[in-house]
Amino acid sequence: MSAAKIEVLLQTLISGLLLGGLYALIGLGMTIIMGVMKIINLAHGELMMVGMYVAYLLFAWAHIDPYLSILVAVPLLFFLGVALQKYLVNPVLKVDAILPENQVILTVGIGMVLANLATIIFKSDYRTTPVDYATKAWYLTDLWKDSPIELSLSFPWTVSFLFAVGITAALWFFLSRTDMGKSIRATAQDKDAAMLMGVNVERMRVFTFGLGSALVGAAGCLFLPIYYLYPDVGGQFTLTGFVITILGGLGSTVGAIIGGLILGVFESLTATYVGMGWAPVGRFVVFMLVLVFVPGGVASLLRRRRFGK
Amino acid sequence: MKRPLVTALSILVLALSLPLGALASEFKLVVPLPLTGKVAKFGEIMKKSFEMAAEEINASGGIKGSTLVLGFEDSAGKPETARAIVEKLIEGGQPVIVGEYTSACAKAVAAVAEERKTPYLVVASADDAITQQTYRYVFRQNQVNAHYADAFVSFMGEVVKPKTIAILYETTAFGTSGADAMEKDALKLGIKVVLKEKYEAGAPDFKPILSKVKSLQPDVVYMVSYVMDASLLMKQIMELRLEAKLFAGGAAGFAIPEFVGNAKEAAEYVISATLWTPKLSYPGAQAYAEKYKTKYGDYPSYHGASAYASLFVLKEAMTGAKDWSTEGIRDGMKAVDMQTAFGPVKFEDKEGYQNQNFVGTLAIQVQKGEFETIWPKDQASAPFVFPVPTWRERR
Amino acid sequence: MTYRKPLLILALLAVLPLIRAVPGVNANYWLHNFILVVMWTIIGMSWNLLSGYCGQVSFGHAAFFGIGAYTSGLLYVKFGLSAWWGMLASIPVVGAAALLIGFVCLRLRGPFFALATIAVGVILRIVAENLTGFTGGDMGIMIRERTWVEKTWYYYIILALAAGTFWFVDRIIASKLGYYFVAIREDQDAAESLGIDTTRYKTIALVLSAVLCGFAGAFYTNYMGYIDPKVVFALHDISVMAIMVVMVGGVATRWGPVLGAVIMILMAEIIRTIPKVGTAHHTLFGVLLIVVIIFLPNGVVGDAAKLRRLLRPGRSA
Repeated sequence: MSAAKIEVLLQTLISGLLLGGLYALIGLGMTIIMGVMKIINLAHGELMMVGMYVAYLLFAWAHIDPYLSILVAVPLLFFLGVALQKYLVNPVLKVDAILPENQVILTVGIGMVLANLATIIFKSDYRTTPVDYATKAWYLTDLWKDSPIELSLSFPWTVSFLFAVGITAALWFFLSRTDMGKSIRATAQDKDAAMLMGVNVERMRVFTFGLGSALVGAAGCLFLPIYYLYPDVGGQFTLTGFVITILGGLGSTVGAIIGGLILGVFESLTATYVGMGWAPVGRFVVFMLVLVFVPGGVASLLRRRRFGK
Repeated sequence: MKRPLVTALSILVLALSLPLGALASEFKLVVPLPLTGKVAKFGEIMKKSFEMAAEEINASGGIKGSTLVLGFEDSAGKPETARAIVEKLIEGGQPVIVGEYTSACAKAVAAVAEERKTPYLVVASADDAITQQTYRYVFRQNQVNAHYADAFVSFMGEVVKPKTIAILYETTAFGTSGADAMEKDALKLGIKVVLKEKYEAGAPDFKPILSKVKSLQPDVVYMVSYVMDASLLMKQIMELRLEAKLFAGGAAGFAIPEFVGNAKEAAEYVISATLWTPKLSYPGAQAYAEKYKTKYGDYPSYHGASAYASLFVLKEAMTGAKDWSTEGIRDGMKAVDMQTAFGPVKFEDKEGYQNQNFVGTLAIQVQKGEFETIWPKDQASAPFVFPVPTWRERR
Repeated sequence: MTYRKPLLILALLAVLPLIRAVPGVNANYWLHNFILVVMWTIIGMSWNLLSGYCGQVSFGHAAFFGIGAYTSGLLYVKFGLSAWWGMLASIPVVGAAALLIGFVCLRLRGPFFALATIAVGVILRIVAENLTGFTGGDMGIMIRERTWVEKTWYYYIILALAAGTFWFVDRIIASKLGYYFVAIREDQDAAESLGIDTTRYKTIALVLSAVLCGFAGAFYTNYMGYIDPKVVFALHDISVMAIMVVMVGGVATRWGPVLGAVIMILMAEIIRTIPKVGTAHHTLFGVLLIVVIIFLPNGVVGDAAKLRRLLRPGRSA
């Protein structure tokens, strides 16, 4: 392989990993909501959009860095999620319908209202937060003058990646080491059993929806410096969220980040070596393969290794 | 079981009885535009420009004494909805249709207009096919996509003289036809196309494809992107230190103020094809641009200028028409030959197009954060900068 | 099952084009909307068969709609045939595609099946975008001249199709197949232990449903005269819309898809054109959806009794 080819491969892998981190961020919130409530939340991307607008507003008004606005967006989205669950989702889940999927209408309706409200309030302008570090990057040739190849590592992408890892770790700790977390996991596994064990299932669900919304709100803040914002930005990320959720395994935080990384790398490799127009096909083919052959996702593989012997 | 039926019927009756009517000495023009959804931004720019033009027309006496009253309907970028709106307008007696934005909607509207023998003025939809259908009633004011880059291509042939070119484009009708046109132009100039690849619009990460471009070392990187993809591409090109003699864009995303606003220093020296700029010497162009800016805080894109000019074209056509029937306005439209803020407008049949306005295109370059017209020379607002410094030299 | 009421409604619908004779009414505009409503009725009934009765919730009906539409369009572009032949040709094409899709997706249950069908729809869209030599890619397919300027014929064609679909679905549900479908929906494991070959019957449901939806797609090509991948393989505007049509109307009911189509298409159009609302029409409509599903979780027909009670509080028990 020539130096140029190696450079392409390495750069592709780097961007794939960084992209994977972003994907994981988007998927984390969804995997928790879907894991606990088994509902398909089609308003996920719109919640992310709300998070992005929060960060945008803080930047536009007070010049607060989007990374700092996580501190505002997270609690705000948490309460928004709690309210949505308490007053809209729960009443629908409670009623016995022929198909439990009737919540789809609800989440589609919520998504429509959120996106439309954003259009009314903010107009459909494309917004960005022009931060100084947007195009900042570290270069291999800056560190090593005679390097035969040039690689770059983007600053904002790396920050989001680190945040993704950090949030995953914190979430994992919360879910496996705290009482609240354990109750949530119990609700996810078997809500009737959990109820018998004295878990307040209703409360757990409300909390989970809040938590999921807060996570995707954080994802929105981290996403803003490298992307852009307009009222209909959310839709495409809802789909990404699904893919990560299935790839990682329902409700699994560690699975989500590993799934995200796999997907990011796979997509980047497809983009480089097959063609970027086909990259989304690759994404959904992987998704189907996992659904059919590894229905538990990455999480089930991890578990098998641990207990397999 | 009877109730749903009764409800449905009563809704129907209610809907059918919605009042429709128009007053005399007023000419009511309802414009279908995407005001919600993914392309709503452009719908908004056009709506504001239409309103500005109507205001000016009415201030100077309206059309033959009739006040022009504008209305807007949201098609949300859906062809079925666009068709519904236009069916309603034509049947309601509106003798001419102006507007729509996406090519898919414009095609749906054009088909209805032709069937109903009602003139339709396309303002900003670029897909070549719209005026290639031997439609008698469909007119297009903006240049066809195949010619969007004419000025840029001539600049490339005379100044840049590249040997190789890489073309990246988004998976939409606009991107595809823009890229195809550039491929043909490059072949004509003897430039080798080393890569022609598409991407899904709205993708966050272009670095894989850009590293591939980097390894191919083309002289020119030409990109056709609708909106913000343009600025992401340039930012990531800068980040990867992808060097080429020239980075260029095919109108749209590279020619809107948001491009410079978001890409900042990465946008510097990028050249783009465009149909219009705020600094053009067309009569009224600068006045319109400045007025728009004071009113809305930003310069309009060429979509807005085209929308603005279209009402003056309509006024001209209706003034010249023998009556305000569909047929009369169609003939009036065909006879239009005038100067507007968008450039000369005249609907011709040539090169397989019908009722197409072949307006000259321009090339612009970002210089110190401002769009400057650089080509053709007689329209230039500033001399071009070429060769452009490398990314390293810029720091 | 009696057909008196359906025939009565059909007769009522059949005279709708007479609104042409009513002065001051935009007949073409309303016929356009009626045609869309009836087309959505078919898509709704198709979705209802697979998801409502058989319980396999599909998020990918755009796949079948799109394949039907493209069958029609490609016959016109590639073979110079009338696009109407697409109606016929779509049966084997969509059926075969559904078999293939079913082979992969029907191994999955519940939300996993739903997610797999989302993927199918999206994959087909991107494939259609990328196979530029075959499908024309993003440039879409344009039919130079539609068969009729008048809408009456389109209306009767789609109405006949809808009536046929209604009758067909009705017969299926009344037959043994229907019982198997419902058994699978209620409890797949129990159905299996009773000796029902669930995979086989789920596949049958999927293929039947797909073919019905394909008709609607083929009709769309003929009616609109233009298709492109983003329009006919749309996730939100087709797949999710199909779900909403049935769910708002009433899942696994005879009249649910019909009423749902009226609400989702006609109501949406009416709300869109309310003066002074402007772009806020999405919010109004979204709120309407939320309210419907909270108060009528089984849809307007499914919760008709409840609706009656809500509307006449005086008589409630």
